[in-house]
Amino acid sequence: MAFLLRRLCFYLAAFVAAATINFFLPRLMPGDPVQIMFSSAGAELPPESLQALKLTFGFVDGPLWQQYLTYLGSIFSGDLGRSIKYFPLPVTTVLGNALVWTVGLMGTATIVSFALGTFLGILAAWRRGSLFDVIVSVGAIFATSVPAVVTSLIVVFTFGFTLGWFPTGYSADPALDPAFTFEYLGSVLYHGILPMLTLCAVLTGGFAVTMRNNMINLLGEDYIVMARAKGLSDTRVMLWYAARNALLPTVSSLAIAIGTVLGGSLVTEVVFNYPGLGNILYQAILARDYPVIQGQLLIMTATMLIANFVVDVSYVLLDPRLKRA
Amino acid sequence: MTAPLLSVKNLTIDYIGETNDFRAVDNVSFDVAPGEVFGLAGESGCGKSTIAFAISRLHKPPALIRKHSAILLDGRNVLDLDQKDLADFRWREVAMVFQSAMNSLNPVLRIEQQFYDVLRTHKRITRAQARDRTAEMLRLVDISPDRMRDYPHQFSGGMRQRIVIAICLALDPRLIVMDEPTTALDVVVQREILQRINELRRKLGFAVLFITHDLGLMVQFCDRIGIMLGGKLVEQGTADAIYRTPEHDYTKKLWASFPSLHGGVLR
Amino acid sequence: MKTSSFPLIHNRKAMVGALIVAFILAVAIAAPLLTSYDPSARVGRPHQAPSLEHWLGTTRIGQDVFARLVYGARTSLAVGFGAGLLITIVGTALGIIAGYRGGKIDEIISFFTNMVLVVPNLPLLLVLAAFIGQASPWVIALILGCTSWAWGARVTRAETLSVKQKDYVKSAEMMGEPRWRIMTFEIFPNLISIVGINFIGSVIFAIITQATLEFLGLGDPKVVSWGTMLYAAQKASALSVGAWWDILTPCFALAFLGIGLSLLNFAVDEIANPRLRTGNRLGRWSALIRSGEGRL
Ligand SMILES: Nc1ncnc2c1ncn2[C@@H]1O[C@H](COP(=O)(O)OP(=O)(O)OP(=O)(O)O)[C@@H](O)[C@H]1O
Ligand SMILES: [Mg+2]
Repeated sequence: MAFLLRRLCFYLAAFVAAATINFFLPRLMPGDPVQIMFSSAGAELPPESLQALKLTFGFVDGPLWQQYLTYLGSIFSGDLGRSIKYFPLPVTTVLGNALVWTVGLMGTATIVSFALGTFLGILAAWRRGSLFDVIVSVGAIFATSVPAVVTSLIVVFTFGFTLGWFPTGYSADPALDPAFTFEYLGSVLYHGILPMLTLCAVLTGGFAVTMRNNMINLLGEDYIVMARAKGLSDTRVMLWYAARNALLPTVSSLAIAIGTVLGGSLVTEVVFNYPGLGNILYQAILARDYPVIQGQLLIMTATMLIANFVVDVSYVLLDPRLKRA
Repeated sequence: MTAPLLSVKNLTIDYIGETNDFRAVDNVSFDVAPGEVFGLAGESGCGKSTIAFAISRLHKPPALIRKHSAILLDGRNVLDLDQKDLADFRWREVAMVFQSAMNSLNPVLRIEQQFYDVLRTHKRITRAQARDRTAEMLRLVDISPDRMRDYPHQFSGGMRQRIVIAICLALDPRLIVMDEPTTALDVVVQREILQRINELRRKLGFAVLFITHDLGLMVQFCDRIGIMLGGKLVEQGTADAIYRTPEHDYTKKLWASFPSLHGGVLR
Repeated sequence: MKTSSFPLIHNRKAMVGALIVAFILAVAIAAPLLTSYDPSARVGRPHQAPSLEHWLGTTRIGQDVFARLVYGARTSLAVGFGAGLLITIVGTALGIIAGYRGGKIDEIISFFTNMVLVVPNLPLLLVLAAFIGQASPWVIALILGCTSWAWGARVTRAETLSVKQKDYVKSAEMMGEPRWRIMTFEIFPNLISIVGINFIGSVIFAIITQATLEFLGLGDPKVVSWGTMLYAAQKASALSVGAWWDILTPCFALAFLGIGLSLLNFAVDEIANPRLRTGNRLGRWSALIRSGEGRL
């Protein structure tokens, strides 16, 4: 428990660090920070709205620390300002809508590829040097070394444009109204499956290699040899003695992998024109919509920290040495 | 002499290398009688563990047991067993305590589960029966049965060692191979454990193949001793003979480098 | 066992990887010899399919795709290796200092390392790049160097902790050698394989990330690189108008380079961690089993 509490404090600090970067970036740039932040709005922004935005981002008369506290205050009260491109929508609304899609896409892809990759890694390590091992290892090299942009583009070109099997944009048929109907949910699945599979292709190899190497490093341990000496079946030794222990370092590397997952899903969404955070962000970058760009860093960081915390909790559950105490 | 329980004949084991092989065990033959304690001594790297592994057929590539080798247990050649018979044979006939028994318990499974694994694999047994058996075994090695739901890291090194021995006894094996079972322990605990093994051996009647490089310990504990050098078994005989009238130069040298014995004989 | 002073030469993965990278490097250097077109100039009609005149077709605004490919290799390689080197230097230095000095210094460095590890990298880079505006390749390399060292620092620190306990370090301490000498001449040489893995991994990361940032429109579109090629093609909707050559060319180039570098990386990993190696002893072993010379 103390361990998890310590992690929570650390995550809070990391979140504040991300906010600090947001705060200082425009102020460090040459030129007037207010001008930089809101320049893309041109003259259309009503003066009261501009005033409110300036307050949100800490552009108040006063010393730097007061500006900083003002900014932190607005973040922790859930005010990330308003989007300039989609004015007057608040940044939280713009990003919140997109986040649902991203988390759905990313979550499924992570779970599927982690399960699949881990499974492949276990088998490859167990049949070390076999044809299966060679195929998994080489396949993983290919999958992990090709950038997500490239994989996404090739997949969308092949299955979307050339073969025409899957749609090349949107999260559902735009002609349908979002509702809990069979038709709408089916359309969501149909639109989501290709980006999801692409992400899996990008991620599975990495998980497989990690698990394989962790397993191989464990196979010489005495408790594995003793398990074999006990006459246990191969599957029992493989799963409950080798894989179960190799899972621990694999899970802790999952925490770092989440960054890759996030990056990958941003890019995949842009290529598939999927209405998640990645796409919103792409539009925001093109429009220099800084409140949204800054907001996404906070939202992404929060997502990453929550995912890390989930990993921490599962680590504690998996490793009896950490339970209690 | 009665028919031997274990009879190792012309055992030769190589570790296959990229270009040439390394002969770790070279044409070794010895017998162990039922209920006897047979000791294998020799310097580090002379092939003792390689022999121990071969008896339960635990080797993996690149190890290779050369043809004409035989390991007979009750006259049955272990090297000829098929997968299913081998699984039955392991632990039921030959159990094993490893060089670093401290690490031979799975850190993520409860002690109870590690007993249950063995019992379940080899016997038709219910959870409750398994629990009774586990409690009985733990009592034999002086560990309170209510700790069976603990994890290995919650026990001290000596306790873990005793738990491994208890798991070894769970199926009443005929032979227990102990590969330096006490190297990681301090001298007091070491004596305590060896004494306990000896009592249990008298009570239950299993034979022990005892491996160490500590000659002093060996002479106190074993009935007969084999001395190994560079993969070969250079001398074997009763503990007394090896102690009083060593024949091979290497054995003499071993004794010369060894301080005189203290403490009584354990047997 | 036979050990070679050049273990990489005996590793098939390493050889293939090195050949791929060397090939791309050669293409980048020889770019002016391979094409007579200016990669930025309009030299043909828009979106022409590959032909003898334009081997890989033309872009939306009539630039020669092949010329852009070979000149773009220069930028991608330069940024990749430049940023990779920077990332490695920062990570290794911080890792060794943290691991060797221990105490407060270690705590501070480790705290920052862990913090950088949990802030998602790409979103952070996006914010930085967005404020900088159209970032030139060198600016991208620089911000990559400043933000991506954490993984290397963590691994190097862990390794330093174990090297620190070795006798030769202890004896150097006894002889009163200054700390910086111990760190550079006693510890660093023993971390070479970790540093190598870190370097190649960082180069891969830098190449991928640079391409991604440029693809997302954060690069300078006037620069010729594989990332800006992707950006321009995507912006011109190359896929939906059927100009596959425009977009697939940089795709395959990036994939090819990535695979080459990864093969090298895996090979170095296997050399550093002998347990991961399979080698041909297994082949000999199987042959002996089959011929009945022995069994298990
Ligand atoms: N997997 C392997 N590959 C190659 N050689 C090996 C392998 N395992 C062991 N050896 C070699 O075989 C020899 C015998 O090893 P073994 O483990 O049997 O020694 P030991 O007598 O038990 O030594 P110790 O007292 O140190 O435990 C050693 O020289 C060792 O280098
Ligand atoms: Mg040994």
